[in-house]
Amino acid sequence: MATGAVDNWLNIDTFGAIYPFVGSEGFLAFLGIALWIVWHFWQIRKENVEFNKDTENIKRQGGPGKVLEDESRREIGDQVGQ
Amino acid sequence: MDNELTSLGIIFTEFYYWVTVVFMFLIHVGFCMYEVGASRYKNHTHTLMKNTMLIPLVTVTFFFFGWWIYFAFVNGPWIIGPLVDAPWATPWSELMGTHMGGAPVQDTLSADDTAYWARINGVFWAAFLLFSWTAASIVSGAVIERIRPSAFWILAVVIGSFTWIIDASWGWSWNGWMVQKLGYHDAYASGVIHAIAGGFALGVLLVLGPRIGKFRADGTPRNINPHNPWLVTIGLFLIYTGFWGFYVACNIPVIDVYGSAMLDVEGKTFFSATNIYLQPTTLSAITFNFLMSLSGGLMVAYIVSDGDAFWTYSGGLAGVIGASSGNDLYHPIQAMIIGGGGAFLAYKMHYWVENRFKIDDAVGAVAVHGYAGFYGIVVAGFMLWGYPSSPFEGYATISPWGNFIGALIMFFLLGFIPAWIVSKILHGFGMLRIPREIELVGLDINYESARAADAEEVAQAIREEARSGA
Repeated sequence: MATGAVDNWLNIDTFGAIYPFVGSEGFLAFLGIALWIVWHFWQIRKENVEFNKDTENIKRQGGPGKVLEDESRREIGDQVGQ
Repeated sequence: MDNELTSLGIIFTEFYYWVTVVFMFLIHVGFCMYEVGASRYKNHTHTLMKNTMLIPLVTVTFFFFGWWIYFAFVNGPWIIGPLVDAPWATPWSELMGTHMGGAPVQDTLSADDTAYWARINGVFWAAFLLFSWTAASIVSGAVIERIRPSAFWILAVVIGSFTWIIDASWGWSWNGWMVQKLGYHDAYASGVIHAIAGGFALGVLLVLGPRIGKFRADGTPRNINPHNPWLVTIGLFLIYTGFWGFYVACNIPVIDVYGSAMLDVEGKTFFSATNIYLQPTTLSAITFNFLMSLSGGLMVAYIVSDGDAFWTYSGGLAGVIGASSGNDLYHPIQAMIIGGGGAFLAYKMHYWVENRFKIDDAVGAVAVHGYAGFYGIVVAGFMLWGYPSSPFEGYATISPWGNFIGALIMFFLLGFIPAWIVSKILHGFGMLRIPREIELVGLDINYESARAADAEEVAQAIREEARSGA
């Protein structure tokens, strides 16, 4: 079993491509491009879920004004504690 | 590779570009520090990740199509000729992988292709790629604290792997149509990186709008100061450092100017570094001019900004950018004066545009890169008027109108317009800007709440441990 054409380094002056599975470049390019596009869709979906969750949390806590008030109170508390 | 001197030349060239990549990495480190320093505490993590993740996305897309565009689009295509074959740069080419330069397997390649490209392709690709990161990263700073990361990453791919590399193909290659027909000269990328990125950022900003609280009810701007000015200045220092790699990556390190395959003058030999247009230059010349234009920019920016640290550092950058088009040929004192002009223009234009058009450019990216870059191209057109734009016969000479048209192409045609169109589309789908409530409380609110909860849990555990021990 060999994944590439290299079985010794004696004729290195004649070697061309030496990565495994020479000849699969077209498939690899297709796979890479597909993975890139899928990544964007996956990330957009994940971001939408995250933002929806954040927005809901903010609403549940009484809106942005209340969240900021709590946040500043906590920061002051942290500083006093230190 | 059986001749010691030839091998040394090839491996030196390979190593040279590799070193430029390492240096240019610092530009990105600098941009990340700079952006995090400029953003408010509530947005730090998202700001950092927004800039960091452009690295893989621009890298893979530059592998898939950016590199091919550089060689294939030199004629437009269809402005002065058709698409050009570039079989060493397609993502399925065997030369886009580990290769020792022997005979090709793919019949689209010749033995000459593999012998030439095997050792240079990866490092040359990477040097251009780091320019791509820079272009996208310039845009990243302008739009902080309100753009959706997903939208930014799509825009980063558009400029990093598509529009900037088209402009490089047109105006920053030895045979680009802009060089041939307009005599366009932009040796160290005032336009091909900076003007396009500034124009692109402006196109996005126009659709994206300002940060909440940036403008008062009467339309006058408020200062949203950097959270950490020291981080901003160290970031800018790192960008300066990385700029050295950027400059030398714009050169070909050693070539027989007369004997290169593209320019064959019989009986003559002259080894030299050249710029991207194959015109001889020296590292010495660009070192003089880099430092003198940086100094001119710093000196003027310090005066006009009353010693403001942020604008003084940014002015140094604007100085280099303003002189970069012609920094292969200028006298150092010319570079200093032109650099000073770039810094002055960037500072004045930033505040004029902010007041007049209510554009919230959070880090002055449009000014420092866009306006100073545009100015740099135009000034080079006047300063280098009549110089040959190329060693090849039949090319237009450098002229004010050639470079002015080039500046318009960089800033508007390939920068502003594509950014505005893509931003409009993203805006139409509700994908451009983060929800208002999240912008108000900060993008990192969940992350910070989770950190606070973790810290509280650990503190509680320590208290319990202490009580049980007592």
